[in-house]
Amino acid sequence: MSTNEHTLKFFGEELNQLKAEVARMGGLAEAQVADAIMAVSDRDVTLAESVVSRDQRLDLLQHDIERKSIRLIALRQPVAQDLRRTVGAMKMASILERTGDYAKNIAKRALVISEAEPITPLTRAIERMGKLVAARLKDALDSYTSAELDQAMNVWHNDEEVDEHYNSLFRELLTYMISDPRMINSCAHMLFVAKNLERIGDYATNIAEIVHYEVTGEEIVGDRPKWSGVSRDGGPNSDLEA
Amino acid sequence: MGVVAAAAVLSLVGLGKADAPLGLLTAAGLVALGLILNLMAPQRRAAMTPSVIDAAVSSTPPEPGDVQTYVSALELAPNPILVVSAEEADDLAGRRIAFANASARDLLRVAREGALLVAAMRNPNVLEAIDESLFGGLDRVVTYEAGGPQSRFWRVWTNPLPGTPARPRLALVIMQDETDVRLNERMRADFLANASHELRTPLASLTGFIETLRGHAKNDEVARDRFLAIMGRQAERMARLIEDLMSLSRIELNEHIRPSGVCDLTVAVADVVDALSPQLAAKGVAFECGLPPKGEAWVAADRDQLIQVIQNLLDNAIKYSPVGGVVQVEVDVGLTLEAAAGFRPDARRLSAPDGGRMSLQTPTWSADVRYAILRVADLGPGLARETLPRLTERFYRVEGQKSGERNGTGLGLAIVKHIVNRHRGGFLVESAPGEGAVFCVYFPMSSAAGGSPGSKNERNTPLTDASAREEIKLS
Repeated sequence: MSTNEHTLKFFGEELNQLKAEVARMGGLAEAQVADAIMAVSDRDVTLAESVVSRDQRLDLLQHDIERKSIRLIALRQPVAQDLRRTVGAMKMASILERTGDYAKNIAKRALVISEAEPITPLTRAIERMGKLVAARLKDALDSYTSAELDQAMNVWHNDEEVDEHYNSLFRELLTYMISDPRMINSCAHMLFVAKNLERIGDYATNIAEIVHYEVTGEEIVGDRPKWSGVSRDGGPNSDLEA
Repeated sequence: MGVVAAAAVLSLVGLGKADAPLGLLTAAGLVALGLILNLMAPQRRAAMTPSVIDAAVSSTPPEPGDVQTYVSALELAPNPILVVSAEEADDLAGRRIAFANASARDLLRVAREGALLVAAMRNPNVLEAIDESLFGGLDRVVTYEAGGPQSRFWRVWTNPLPGTPARPRLALVIMQDETDVRLNERMRADFLANASHELRTPLASLTGFIETLRGHAKNDEVARDRFLAIMGRQAERMARLIEDLMSLSRIELNEHIRPSGVCDLTVAVADVVDALSPQLAAKGVAFECGLPPKGEAWVAADRDQLIQVIQNLLDNAIKYSPVGGVVQVEVDVGLTLEAAAGFRPDARRLSAPDGGRMSLQTPTWSADVRYAILRVADLGPGLARETLPRLTERFYRVEGQKSGERNGTGLGLAIVKHIVNRHRGGFLVESAPGEGAVFCVYFPMSSAAGGSPGSKNERNTPLTDASAREEIKLS
């Protein structure tokens, strides 16, 4: 009995450890995203370069968390919520690693964008969208560390705001490119920055789904609220990618 | 000045509850006091070196009374203060919060004791600094920006603390809000950029008219009157623009500070409706009000800013209403975040080919908050879906809007958004071309005045009810 208790206690600590590592990795991914956005809006080459070089840390952390999760499953054979938490940590690690990749990609594009003439209204629009995405990522990670179901659901329901920003930015960028072909190069990079931000926003939604699954053991049923017919008026056809 | 403040803190003996480990808090309290003193009085920095603090710690054996004092001092300090304990360097779950003062609990949403450090703080630079204090014995200072709708900048001091037998590794974390300084810099730059850009057009037109008046229109009395009238309007527009820009800057500077007042949304709406009646009559537009009785819609709000929000929304509704149109103004109370965000959608608008609904500002979720919502619906030309997310941008103009209608400054909805954000509220728009537009703002209800069922009954006496209705009818 006492060994059993001891095992349980030890196991709980291991799970806590895993969660703490994921949270710490989340903090790093958050900082990468925030810094990448700042590199674009402030045309900060040094910051962009440091974001690119820091990405490796996320890769290492992901491997570490995966290895620990697999070890935990193999040795402790967790069931029910313990199993969901372990698998959740693995999923989180891979989502955060990809989030970091998008941040790195944004930072690389910031290097190109800062070489061209500044287009202030566009960088401001990117910055606004970036702030929104960063705030969603923060909320999603907060819901992960606190295991707050309602907070996770709130993140899950509010995805459209990011999508609409993306669609609107897309149109704006097209207008700029049509009016002045010299801007096409930096506008095309901005377009990918916006797309990357939109993907990061989707990952925040995925984190909310993981939290929901971890807490309840059920997947969220029903569709996320999305605008239909995004493609009709020449906007980016996000429906095709779903 | 710092000494006086510290003395004041020290005089509040016995207010704290000493249920955290005593020795730990004594040491933490002394070091924290030293550091707070340093923050408050930079010129005294030299005097409060760590060795002085060390001496103070070792020369003062904790007495029960002293401990109470230090706990109170930590608890009452305006800065968020954490004491972090740790096990081994590779044990992330071992880093826990041994103590969080009131300000830190409020900011980081953690319990006084026991939470995982990463549950409160994820910023990699801060975590690294804390690690260096815990395991390397180093003092560190880092800055970071906490994201979210009301972004704040923090400067964080981390210092190693003398350990206790139960907790050998301890670090003290003190945070200082530097949002004001950062925002001030930023606002100044934004204001200059916006003002110089937006004032250029009316200024160019003024200069043009002055040249014409000096030149060939010098003796043409009819032209002169016409030009002077246009110039007068341009000058008015410039004045309005500057006023709106200043107001926006002021709001943004305080955006991270929650408003402290409470205000009755019903009364505020009724006041604005009253004040707008001349404009209504001039345009032949009527208001259709559906307001709850006075005393039911208490929201946590700064009254002036709340009025500004209502004013801007109603102004817009009147401006875009056709002559003889009706503007619906409704208030509803006691809604959850979900209910407020999904308040009364209109199938006709949502199913229209280019119609839609979207949130322009969503508050951070927090449990148990109820919202009071204001819904303003007009029968104007409506807005296409793709314009909706951009409505709160400064100086955004909907394409195809006739220049004659450009009598606003282009800042009205930006001001609404920033005020709503400051109030931790939400802002929604629903519209379709040809189907009019609906703007909703919702604010957290005040728990102080929102009241228990008992006080609610008290307010619902027929007398107050009738007088509230009376007031609404008047408008």
